[in-house]
Amino acid sequence: MSMTLKVASRNIFRQKKRTFLLAGAIAFGMLVITLINAFTGGLVENIRENIADIFGGHVFITGTEYPEGGQIVRRMKPDDRLDELLAEHAPFISSHTKRSEAYATFIFGSKRTVDTVYGVDFVEENKLLESLVVSKGSFDRVAELNNAIIVTETVGQRLGVEPGETILVKLDTITGQQNVGEFQVEAFVKDQDMFGMSSAYAHRAYLNELLGLDTHEFQNLYLTIHDLSQAEAVARDFRVGLRSDDEIEEEEVEVSVSVAGMPISPQDKKEPIQPWEGTRYRVMGINEIMEPIEQVVGVLDKIALVVFLILLFVTMVGITNTFRMIMIERTREIGTMRAFGMHKKQVKRIFLWEATLVSLLGVVTGLVLSGVLVFILSRIGITKDPAMQMFLTEGRLSFVISKGSLVVNTVLVVVISLIAAYWPAKAAAKLSPMKALGSHT
Amino acid sequence: MAIVQLENVKKVYSLGKAEVQAVRGVSFSIEKGDFASIVGPSGSGKSTILNLIGCIDQPTEGTVIINGTATEGLKDKALTNLRHQTLGFIFQSFNLIPVLNVYENIEFPLLLGKNKMSKKETREWIEYLVEAVGLKDHIIHKSNELSGGQRQRVAIARALVTKPEIVLADEPTANLDSKTGQSILELMKKMNADLNTTFIFSTHDTSIMDIADHVVRLLDGLVVEDTKAKVKVGS
Repeated sequence: MSMTLKVASRNIFRQKKRTFLLAGAIAFGMLVITLINAFTGGLVENIRENIADIFGGHVFITGTEYPEGGQIVRRMKPDDRLDELLAEHAPFISSHTKRSEAYATFIFGSKRTVDTVYGVDFVEENKLLESLVVSKGSFDRVAELNNAIIVTETVGQRLGVEPGETILVKLDTITGQQNVGEFQVEAFVKDQDMFGMSSAYAHRAYLNELLGLDTHEFQNLYLTIHDLSQAEAVARDFRVGLRSDDEIEEEEVEVSVSVAGMPISPQDKKEPIQPWEGTRYRVMGINEIMEPIEQVVGVLDKIALVVFLILLFVTMVGITNTFRMIMIERTREIGTMRAFGMHKKQVKRIFLWEATLVSLLGVVTGLVLSGVLVFILSRIGITKDPAMQMFLTEGRLSFVISKGSLVVNTVLVVVISLIAAYWPAKAAAKLSPMKALGSHT
Repeated sequence: MAIVQLENVKKVYSLGKAEVQAVRGVSFSIEKGDFASIVGPSGSGKSTILNLIGCIDQPTEGTVIINGTATEGLKDKALTNLRHQTLGFIFQSFNLIPVLNVYENIEFPLLLGKNKMSKKETREWIEYLVEAVGLKDHIIHKSNELSGGQRQRVAIARALVTKPEIVLADEPTANLDSKTGQSILELMKKMNADLNTTFIFSTHDTSIMDIADHVVRLLDGLVVEDTKAKVKVGS
């Protein structure tokens, strides 16, 4: 260990109370920023996971058709391009699910309510039933009963229906006609969707029938990706791979239309949409959905950083004053060291080491305290309010902090401490050995 | 051979608008291996001369030559190196570094520059000094656990650790009782004899200057007696 580091490391324990206060102030700042970063990081992860659970995946594909003389309908048929892409990306995809959906009115006697109903393949989506929490009834007969429906507790209460009873579901077919079907309620599940919005689940084949789709058709394809960091790349590949020839042509036309070198979007012309052949796909990655949420969280992080910087600035003033005091207290000691041949830069280095060590002590203390608080907070059941569930994992807050922000915050603390201690250190180094030795402090 | 040489050295301090002539043209030399004492009452210029010899102050006029090097015009870095390589210091108030123990305090000057000794040699040398100053049983004690006499013994070992040519001691016994002070001077004398290191100490106590083999007596910033030279100056 270098002499300057050894002396500095001993010096920080000379005035324990002072070191405690200084490191404590830094630790508090570190605690605040780490907690906020970890909270927002956890929030994003929870929302991402919950959205993936709700939608059944990380990449969402929908398809629309607009045949000549017809109208735009949401429909996806078995497609070789889709199958090829699924096969090609099999190593990245842990599962894929096909669903149809309808925003429907549920009727039981004189009571009615509205909800989204998903048509799912209960055998294919075996994890879906595992993720739902039954509050009444059971899933025992869901697979075998063609018109079985699982509704949320809220829907059940609104309708005053009991498991085993039959309800009517009124919906619009894909071409806009009204249709009604009978469903047998098999189970109530707890609401767990985004902001309290709930969904019901029925057999896709039966829902398709009501929607006017063939049994093997569907409206949404959800891909669950092994590694979330690959989700965007997979989404991009599907987006490119599923583009039809006329879509590519349209894109080329879009960029070729320009006035004075400025491209003009065809949307500006407000031309009516022309019918197309086959299915046009829209592919969306979970990150696209997360983007606005991450922006809000990013703002939170920035606010936290500003608060942190203000705290650090206040601490910086404290560090400067403390080191000025230290310099005055140790003037004779500095003189002695200089007399024995210590160079100015070595005197400065002792002060800067001391500032570094105090700041690192504060950082470590802050991180340990954050760890303890995170441990406690993540074990407290926050609320049973469905609106909050989106932000939680199993009803609890979770905290995620990136190594990058830890490093940035630590470097920031150390650099600011060094800047704060620099001027007293320089003043100490500039002390004349003779005057310093003549000092009575 | 003169290891310290002062030629017509003057030192003027500014005290507000007034000027104080601390040293008013002093010339003397000290030979290698001398056990020299600079004696005089308060304000006679003893400390100023020790500061000039110790390269922690520069003369207003005249020349100070330390081990063949004139200090005049030297930059801080060169002066610092000269102090580290040639000089050791013993202070009236001991000036030990409180956060370090006895061993570390003695070792401290060695860590400030290039140490030509190996780790083993360094350890043996420090242990020799610790034993020589009689603090073998206090090697891991901090300075606040030692008596005044013990602290000054540590200071003596510290001053000698870099094997300097010259050790300067500014009133080394002033903060000690007479018996302890006497033992400190005897220790310094012994080290002077054992290591052939030149010792220059200042004192205002004429009773302890008998131990010195070279006495420079000052009065009002002038040398009034240089006993080794056996010449009375200014009389």
